[in-house]
Amino acid sequence: MIEKPEIPEAASGHAIAQQSRREFIAFTAGILATAAGAWWLLPDRTKARLLPGAARDRLDTLAARVGLSGRNRELFLDRALTFDDDVAEALFSRDRRVRTYARSETTPLKPNYHGRPPLPESLAGWTLTLDGLASGRTERLDASALARFPKREQVTRLVCVEGWSAVAWWGGIAFADLLRAFPPAPGARWAALRSQISRDPAGRPEPYFVSIDLPTAHHAQTLLATELSGRPLPLAHGAPLRLVAPVKLGLKNIKAITHIAYQAEEPADYWNLRGYSKYDGL
Amino acid sequence: MAPKSPTSDRTVLIVRKHHWLVRWTHWLNVPLLFGLIATGLAIYWAAPVFKHAPDPVTGSRDYLADLGFAIARLTGDPSGGRWVYEHFGLGTGQLAGALRLHWLLAYFFMLNGVLYAVGLAKGGGWRALVPRPSDGAGALQMIRYYLGVIPHALSKKPWPHPVLRSKYNALQRGAYFTMPLVGALVVLSGWAMHKPSQLGWLERLFVSYDGARIVHFACMLVLGSFVVPHVVLVVADGFDTFRSMITGWSTRVKAHDREA
Repeated sequence: MIEKPEIPEAASGHAIAQQSRREFIAFTAGILATAAGAWWLLPDRTKARLLPGAARDRLDTLAARVGLSGRNRELFLDRALTFDDDVAEALFSRDRRVRTYARSETTPLKPNYHGRPPLPESLAGWTLTLDGLASGRTERLDASALARFPKREQVTRLVCVEGWSAVAWWGGIAFADLLRAFPPAPGARWAALRSQISRDPAGRPEPYFVSIDLPTAHHAQTLLATELSGRPLPLAHGAPLRLVAPVKLGLKNIKAITHIAYQAEEPADYWNLRGYSKYDGL
Repeated sequence: MAPKSPTSDRTVLIVRKHHWLVRWTHWLNVPLLFGLIATGLAIYWAAPVFKHAPDPVTGSRDYLADLGFAIARLTGDPSGGRWVYEHFGLGTGQLAGALRLHWLLAYFFMLNGVLYAVGLAKGGGWRALVPRPSDGAGALQMIRYYLGVIPHALSKKPWPHPVLRSKYNALQRGAYFTMPLVGALVVLSGWAMHKPSQLGWLERLFVSYDGARIVHFACMLVLGSFVVPHVVLVVADGFDTFRSMITGWSTRVKAHDREA
């Protein structure tokens, strides 16, 4: 039999009582530390629900006195996010392709952006502006210039940070082809993608912007899409040009792109500024 | 056997039960799982995987929200469809905060699981968890015993606990063997959802993206519901069992000499 019989051993009653006391003190200290840590890490809104104002403030003040302040909490949790992003970056492989599907396997794709789609008139005279190029020039490409690139199609899954996902059939150009035609300046490591015509929930202009690392931009399945399900992109899905990067969360798949700038420093990212991760590798 | 008073220096017979790594990681699982479930539900709220056509009255598409409505109606609670999310989770509308905490706790949970396995290996505790051919009959015997406990106590008739030659009875062994496996499954399904592009093979292992979400949710239910009988039985079994998970030893010396 694998399990050996339990052999009782003789121990000094004094010694085991002492050891027992030590262990129980450590256990109690562990409970207190966990309670303090849990209180420290709880989001403010959850705390507000758990405990009314005055008592909550007193506890928060007490916690802040031993270093468990709200500021330190943000720093600590941000570090957890960057750690997870670093893991995602380490997992990324330029040559690894994501799963593709048959066109018959597409599922409904809801336009999930919290803001309103761009106004149709904002598309008149649309161009894609490229900056940070090796040529040192600023390029402006219109739809016909983009149409000269080889057309790619793929059926891939878009995964939202919220947890839902959808399989969609995209058509457009490979980001890698654009990078080949208009190479970034040496030293550039990031692409800052921006939609200047994006709107907020009230319909006011609100630019949307994401950071994309160049290895992701070079990935064979990263598209600058112009079509969905074989038809031109609808406004709600990012007309006239959107990013489709199945190695990234949906929130990186920026719609209605107007500007791409290559740069050495990591650009700002819309949802990262709102508490979400930044690399967002899937 | 009654515990000895701390002042006496008599010799006490003890049995070593749990390696210190097993004890510490066992207890760390409590806040970790609690936090993972609370944050996990806050994430789940953003896009439920178990859903239906919108309810004509509440507008809910989410079975967990439906459950919340039902409970809130019974208890007169104003939270309505948010009931489950507010009582078992961080609450609604906190996706970014919940994700950060979930990742933090998930990394600690994985580290904790590794340390638990190391403790099982170093202390030899794994041997007591390995299923054996007699476990089917042993489990039935334990179920029969548990069913009889209350009737016999009420009628004041003796109802002896089945004699055990092993550290655990067959039901315990089954549960303690299964839980680490469910822990591994919850981690694997979590990674399948977290990195479906780089770990595509893992996503396929769960058939699809939603397959991984369903398994992840089911594992959460299993881990969460294990706690109830676990705590009830430890309380029923007595202080010695509880203490053994803190100090590592038990004064309850098995009468294997009696059986031998």
